[in-house]
Amino acid sequence: MNAMLRLLAQSRSQAPYLALGLLISLIATLSAVSLSGAAGAVFAGVSLAALPLALRLLGPARVVLRYAERMITHDALFRATADLRVWFFRCIAVRMAGGLGMQRAGDLLSRLVGDLEAQDTVYMRLMLPLAGAVILLPLLALSIGLYETTLAVLVCLLFALSAFILPAWAGRAALANGEALAQAMGGLRVGALDVATGLREARAFAAEDRMLAGVQAREAALLATQSRAAKRVAWAGAGAFIAAQAAILATLVLGRNQGAVDVGLVFIVLAAFEAVSLLPRAGAQAGTAAAAAKRVLAITDAPIKCPDPANPQTMPASSALRIEAVSFAWQPDRPPVFEDLNLDIPEGHHVALLGPSGIGKSTLAALLLRLAAPQSGRILLGGTDIAGLAASELRARIGWLSQATHLFDDTIRANLLMARPDADDETLWHALTQAQIADAVRALPDGLDTYLGEGGLRFSGGQGRRLALARALLSPARILILDEPCAGLDSETERAFLQVLAEATADRTTILIAHHLTGVERLDRIYRLSAGHAMAAAG
Amino acid sequence: MTIMTTHTKAERPTPAADPAKLWLRTESGLGRKAALPLVLAGLASSLLAAGQAWFTAQMLADLLGTDGPDQPVLGAAMGFAVLALARAGLGIATEGLAFRLGADARKRLRGDALRRILGSGPGLLRSTHSAELAALVVDRIESLDGFFARWLPAASLALICPLALAALVAWFDWVAALVLLGTALLVPVGMAFSGIGAGRAAQRQFTAMTRLQTRFLDRMRGIATIVMHGRIEDEAKALKQAADELRRRTLRVMRVAFVGSAVLDCAAAFSLVLLALRAGAALAGNTLASPANAIFVLLLVPEFFAPLRSFSAAYQDQFQARDAAAALSALPALPAQEPPRSIRTVAAQGFSLVFDDVGLVWDEARGPVLSEISFRVNQGETLVVAGPSGSGKSSLIEILLGFVRPTTGRVLINGADITDLVPQALSRLTAWIGQKPVLFAGSLRENIRFARPEASDAEVEDAAQAARVSAFAASLPQGLDTQVGEGGFGLSGGQAQRVAIARAFLKNAPLLLLDEPTAHLDPATESEVLDSLRRLALGRTTILVTHSTAAQDWNQGQGGRRIDLRDGRLVDPRARGAA
Repeated sequence: MNAMLRLLAQSRSQAPYLALGLLISLIATLSAVSLSGAAGAVFAGVSLAALPLALRLLGPARVVLRYAERMITHDALFRATADLRVWFFRCIAVRMAGGLGMQRAGDLLSRLVGDLEAQDTVYMRLMLPLAGAVILLPLLALSIGLYETTLAVLVCLLFALSAFILPAWAGRAALANGEALAQAMGGLRVGALDVATGLREARAFAAEDRMLAGVQAREAALLATQSRAAKRVAWAGAGAFIAAQAAILATLVLGRNQGAVDVGLVFIVLAAFEAVSLLPRAGAQAGTAAAAAKRVLAITDAPIKCPDPANPQTMPASSALRIEAVSFAWQPDRPPVFEDLNLDIPEGHHVALLGPSGIGKSTLAALLLRLAAPQSGRILLGGTDIAGLAASELRARIGWLSQATHLFDDTIRANLLMARPDADDETLWHALTQAQIADAVRALPDGLDTYLGEGGLRFSGGQGRRLALARALLSPARILILDEPCAGLDSETERAFLQVLAEATADRTTILIAHHLTGVERLDRIYRLSAGHAMAAAG
Repeated sequence: MTIMTTHTKAERPTPAADPAKLWLRTESGLGRKAALPLVLAGLASSLLAAGQAWFTAQMLADLLGTDGPDQPVLGAAMGFAVLALARAGLGIATEGLAFRLGADARKRLRGDALRRILGSGPGLLRSTHSAELAALVVDRIESLDGFFARWLPAASLALICPLALAALVAWFDWVAALVLLGTALLVPVGMAFSGIGAGRAAQRQFTAMTRLQTRFLDRMRGIATIVMHGRIEDEAKALKQAADELRRRTLRVMRVAFVGSAVLDCAAAFSLVLLALRAGAALAGNTLASPANAIFVLLLVPEFFAPLRSFSAAYQDQFQARDAAAALSALPALPAQEPPRSIRTVAAQGFSLVFDDVGLVWDEARGPVLSEISFRVNQGETLVVAGPSGSGKSSLIEILLGFVRPTTGRVLINGADITDLVPQALSRLTAWIGQKPVLFAGSLRENIRFARPEASDAEVEDAAQAARVSAFAASLPQGLDTQVGEGGFGLSGGQAQRVAIARAFLKNAPLLLLDEPTAHLDPATESEVLDSLRRLALGRTTILVTHSTAAQDWNQGQGGRRIDLRDGRLVDPRARGAA
């Protein structure tokens, strides 16, 4: 419940819409109940003159109100959901700046789509009818109590049972299964994505049947939880039905003193119970919504690694980097990557960091970008400890071509503009030329507007790497970290690129991370990483 | 139902051969047959409700005191209570039945969709994002639940129940029955009106949904790239647009349901007012024969319209289904079960591979990727394929993996055309190490075992040893049981590559396809991996695609051959020598 309310509070910017929906919904509920009472009264011959008129007016009014209620409440709800999705994305972006890690993309997607959609229940099926019930209960007590006290008590108890007690009970009972349901849905999505992304592996290892069986097992788990949930919902619905029928029966049997008035009461009871008849079902569904809300919050509440300081310092003008006595291990139980690492990179210098794979070259990049913080020692940018800077400003200063750089399923142009949104075509072509890929792009019928496909699928590995390289060069950042920029390139292209690298990054600090050098790089300094230290090496 | 079909015909005249229509017709037929018990239960529930209305009318009439005070109220109350309990029980049973119906259909259709996706292979990813495929398998199929669990039974009940109740009413008051039927005729008119454009609205909604999902998934995979370029706000804005688009599209679909429901409300209110006024006038004029009967008729009005209401509520399910039909029938059909010609046994006859004038075009606009490729590799030989990136080396491997069929020419394995082999037969023959091996979330051990699930622990460990996975796993806290994230998170590129090599060791196939197996490795590791690959290649036919000089030299002194590709063509060896 708590989690659901917190998510609802997230959409407070849509509060006016949501409140309007609530108001209309209340008016619609009241008009439905009074229409029904009028209908009953007509028949009982209470006042044949005025009531037919009321009927004729209330009938159409109710139709219009119901339609307006549905449109307005749904619109408000969908607006709130859209806002929640954007908020969810922002939360992820801040928390997973270095990549998803052990988090699975399909699982996040499931939270964005399914779990946020499950929140519909909260406003639509719980809040609106509950508000109606809160207003209807005293009205019911009053209108019956005026004539039949015992009946009023009995009907109000049954009403409370249907509107408050059954939903709460169903909600609590459905909580555990709701969690399983949300998880099973996420599981199915992850399984389906594994099949889709692993189609190559499936074919190459003849794993089609196995992967099919895997997804079907996940589906079976989903269907089992769905079946349990459906049963609960059905029982809750039956409970509401019986409560309503009991109230009607009680009114029919006990309300026998006022004649015509009692007929009107029957119809009022009928309509009042109809207004809350779906609440116990909603209660059972709220178990799922609550579990879904928790899944969303599990992501958005995750602590931010290396959060910004409360009062970030202004960015220093100089881009000189200095690493002082830094020690770092990814996890306490893993061996440290660095121990007392010292490194000095003056502004505008071109340096290379060499070492075999696994020695910590990429970790160093992560530390510089503040994706992780050293356990001891500090990193200075222009004399200021980067721990005191705003991460977004620090990252704007540093361009990073990682080994995991992602090519988006978009055009070449859109992918390049990510690094510099205001770049004109000439600038883009220049970067493509420096990355030794301009000729290949020019040969494409759609040129810069060619779609790359998923993860750059429509291009070869080497071509994709060079597009990523062009994007990194486009970045206006004054420090460039190029992590194995030539991985997957043939030696001819590699040499051609490294020859223009010095010119491409002329006055920018450049950190080239590599296994080895080809001999054509023009560098100011070369460091070799080994055993957690950096040692100056002669080219 | 009749209303629906005429409406459909008027809106989009499609040829009978339309696979989507055919799909929908077959599924409707199957679903309707399965829904029969549900329809019977619905009819029973309607009749029970009529019985309750009858008892209520007796009690109300008694209350008004016109039917004589000696009417036994207790009997009617008992009858009411028993019927109410029966209805509640029937309701629970009906819902269980409906769930089964929807679940069975989803299970069957999901299996079918998955089989077709797996059957058509990785070529599908060139035209469709993996997120779209996943959305099809998950959301599209889920959205079909309503079609089977709600729409099909509701469509039958919307006809049967009102007719049954009208017949019941006619027994007492044929004018009232005519009023009910007359107002009910408003419903199809309203539905037809609200259904205009509903199909397109449903389709657009799903497109918007898929677009949002694809965008989000793609952005999640590249979240680091977005953050590092400071583009969070731009992406949030774009996501907002996609989410708003989905909101508008969804509301448009909902509006169809709301309009339908409003039409029903109108019809119900209209008939209620009409009948109430008629009864009221009769009452005032003292011409009412039996107040109980008049009340009974009035109480039946909501029950009369209830099945129509379910029909209207499920109306949009039908459009979802029509849209899903188009998407599902657009998936490539499953290949024929029987292979045209099965592969001859390999071990006894040795293994030979022939490319005969092979050409490949992925995309007409971009021209051929491979043209006029001819070569032959014999049992146990290694062929090195060299050339700059983008020259078509990987495409050559993809043909051998059966991911794509050559556009022209033939590829023969032991004399059999590769296109004649069933995918499983081809897969048994080949082990493959690609540029970007896909690692699944799970342990290292599970990832290696993927190559051969029935392998023993010892075999998996031997493979890990041979591929030098054990070397780095030893430094990890849980060794081979260390968990890796999706896409191999937690491992360096070189380490992921070694897992792929371990898979190849474990698979132990006669044809070894190596696509840049050492691209991301440092020289020391590269030579280690090459050593183990050499061991792996012993006695196997190997195709090695590479531009690493170290790798190119690997079969020197072993009589291996080399071909060079440039722009998808073989480079003349003499020209190469001259260059």
